[in-house]
Amino acid sequence: MTCSAAETQTLERLRRRIFLALFTALAVALHTLEALFPSPLPWFRPGLANILTVLALFLYGGGAAWSVTLARIAIGSLLLGQLFSPGFFLALAGGVTATAVMTGAEAVAGRRLGPVGISALGAAGHVVGQLLMAWLVVVRHPGVWRLLPLLLLFSLLAGLINGLVADSLLRRLRQHPAMKNSRKPGQEPEATG
Amino acid sequence: MALKRLWQRTTPLDRLVIGLLAIAVLFSFRLLTGGEPGERLLVERDGRLLFTAPLAADREVSLSGPLGQTVLVIRQGGARIVRSPCPHQDCLAMGPARHHGDLLACVPNRLLVRIEGGGSPPTDYDLLSR
Repeated sequence: MTCSAAETQTLERLRRRIFLALFTALAVALHTLEALFPSPLPWFRPGLANILTVLALFLYGGGAAWSVTLARIAIGSLLLGQLFSPGFFLALAGGVTATAVMTGAEAVAGRRLGPVGISALGAAGHVVGQLLMAWLVVVRHPGVWRLLPLLLLFSLLAGLINGLVADSLLRRLRQHPAMKNSRKPGQEPEATG
Repeated sequence: MALKRLWQRTTPLDRLVIGLLAIAVLFSFRLLTGGEPGERLLVERDGRLLFTAPLAADREVSLSGPLGQTVLVIRQGGARIVRSPCPHQDCLAMGPARHHGDLLACVPNRLLVRIEGGGSPPTDYDLLSR
């Protein structure tokens, strides 16, 4: 197949958009599915949707991770009928903190930090962001911080598992011809200042 | 081994991050699992109340169980078991208990030490499901 450089670039942009749309769709599906599962306590959820944010971060960079997370929370909350409810703000705070921590860590550490470390950091960030929001806005009682240790422990385990899943998915995706122009493991992140 | 293969999927920095997070978890457990300080100590054997004392006053009590005497010390608002005839001595490792809801148990000697009082247990967050 022969095509000009401009066409390759257009194709690449199109591919990136399609993959990000697929990631977002999968993230919304996981987000919604997770909310339907019974959980022993509110907030004890494995955060499977974060796998897709990690994939977007490693394949397409921080901006892509942000769009997957924010679109996932907006669409997922809309589907669950909890847009602008307290639960939405908790999810938003968690998602924003997690993504900020993950993109920040990736920008600082680059390829020295793999998907497992990023995912574990993101999970911890999610817990802290969510509890901060819960404490400041929803519950306004310092008692919520007593949930922190258990939530952190749970998030560390979930983050490790999610990170390992993201790692295997990344290995597979990178072998696919459609991914040959995405960011390679050895590539430094784009100039972030 | 499967675990080793998983380990190889992490970079050194990943491992450092995981280690630091694990330390943070342990630290947060130490700092935050506390809760309201307890006021009274209750000792039960086979579900019957055996003994009760305020945590504020320092004292030493000898409690009798099927195996013999278990010695409990209350000091500075906390209770711990200092001597026990049981084989594993797990109850010595459990102390001190000072917060509402804390438990010390010596299963072989059938003793259960509970801490009570000091405000309501933290139930606020149960109201918030989503």
